Amino acid sequence: MVKAFFQKWWRLFLVAALLVAAIQFFVRPPGFSPDHGMGEIGTSVFRPVYKAVDFLRRGISSVWSGYIGLVNVSRDNAELRKDLAALQEKLKESRDAVLENQRLEELLRFSKTLEKRTIGARIVGHDVSPWFQGVFIDAGSGMGVEPGMAVLIPGGAVGRVHRTFSGLSEVILLTDSRFAADVIVERTRVRAIAEGMGGDLCRLKYVSPTQDVVPGDRVLFSGFDGSMPKGTLLGTVASVDRPREGLFLIIRVVSAVNLLSVEEVLVVLSRPAIPFRQGKP
Amino acid sequence: MRPLLVLLALSFAGTAANVWLLSGVVPWFLLPDVSFLVIVYAGLFLSGPLGFVAALPPALFREVTILGPPGSFFLASLAVYFAASEIGRRLFLRSEIFILLIVAGLLAAESASVTLLLVLEGGQSVSALWGAEEAVRISWTALLGVFLFVDLSSRWQRIQE
Repeated sequence: MVKAFFQKWWRLFLVAALLVAAIQFFVRPPGFSPDHGMGEIGTSVFRPVYKAVDFLRRGISSVWSGYIGLVNVSRDNAELRKDLAALQEKLKESRDAVLENQRLEELLRFSKTLEKRTIGARIVGHDVSPWFQGVFIDAGSGMGVEPGMAVLIPGGAVGRVHRTFSGLSEVILLTDSRFAADVIVERTRVRAIAEGMGGDLCRLKYVSPTQDVVPGDRVLFSGFDGSMPKGTLLGTVASVDRPREGLFLIIRVVSAVNLLSVEEVLVVLSRPAIPFRQGKP
Repeated sequence: MRPLLVLLALSFAGTAANVWLLSGVVPWFLLPDVSFLVIVYAGLFLSGPLGFVAALPPALFREVTILGPPGSFFLASLAVYFAASEIGRRLFLRSEIFILLIVAGLLAAESASVTLLLVLEGGQSVSALWGAEEAVRISWTALLGVFLFVDLSSRWQRIQE
């Protein structure tokens, strides 16, 4: 009787068991990474795709600028000497490369001011699920990237490395609901915990109503928890609500970095001071 | 073997296009979860070990491309496969409206579960805008699922005949 029941409904029992295991992994990620081997296979399967897409994007961009350049050259040829036109064409063709070089130079200068070993990486993909905010970068465990390392640009923080594979890393953005870090309000030195809340917003937690925080205040990472270099900009306070009931202020912070438009980032290659547990910072 | 290869190619191409090519250009709620559709198709239309084998690669692709806690989305995707397989055996009628309801129902169930877990953890803040965008994603993916499932199943039928 019982055996027949199980034989009939074993799929549903399996669904329940798998869901329980998935929820367990979700809420309390194990110390080991259960899918690391699978993840390596998965990312290596996708590697040609994102390499090709990155190559194509750059190719299309240079072809476009080259086309514009050629149109301009055809207009200018009637008036300008041949060699000058050729030089102008070259100049226009390399406009995109110049802009890229400027961004990379800025990253390099910034990495020197950080006084920490850093590595540059290009963003090659985005998480498209509705629940998480993250990006994929083309630097992986082979280049010394480890989970928990800070990811930033000169304009401010971007996020934190979540999982690493060879040649690819996942980065959770600072607006992801799982991102949390110790921060400080620049003007009044009020300390708080910043937590991602989707969109381009973070919230500041545990700030007493007696503290002085107003919209427009700049919020920096304190560096106390070792997750981000001290003084890295998180963003500016967008709103401060004082609830009638409740112990803490409701503070929203707009990220300083437009996370959708970032193309290159720096990964700070120093281990986080507090051990980072994969999947749940 | 042929359905297996077609489903593998579909889930690979769909995931690759979404994550590496279109992401950052097209809003997330307009990108259908092709791997999810392939998993549901394998559960509904492919019986036995073939269905399970067909569901494994898309489950892996989801695990790799969704930045959730390690292992959770692989297991959840397999749970979706077995749920779809059970529905396919007990309830499924091969009509468009049934396909639409099943795909939308499974997507909504998964979305509600993950959102609930994130809310209970104190992280996710659910807004009306996010809800509307998620509804668009579910509807759009389910609608695409109808066309995909009807087309694929009729193709196999013709090949078998």
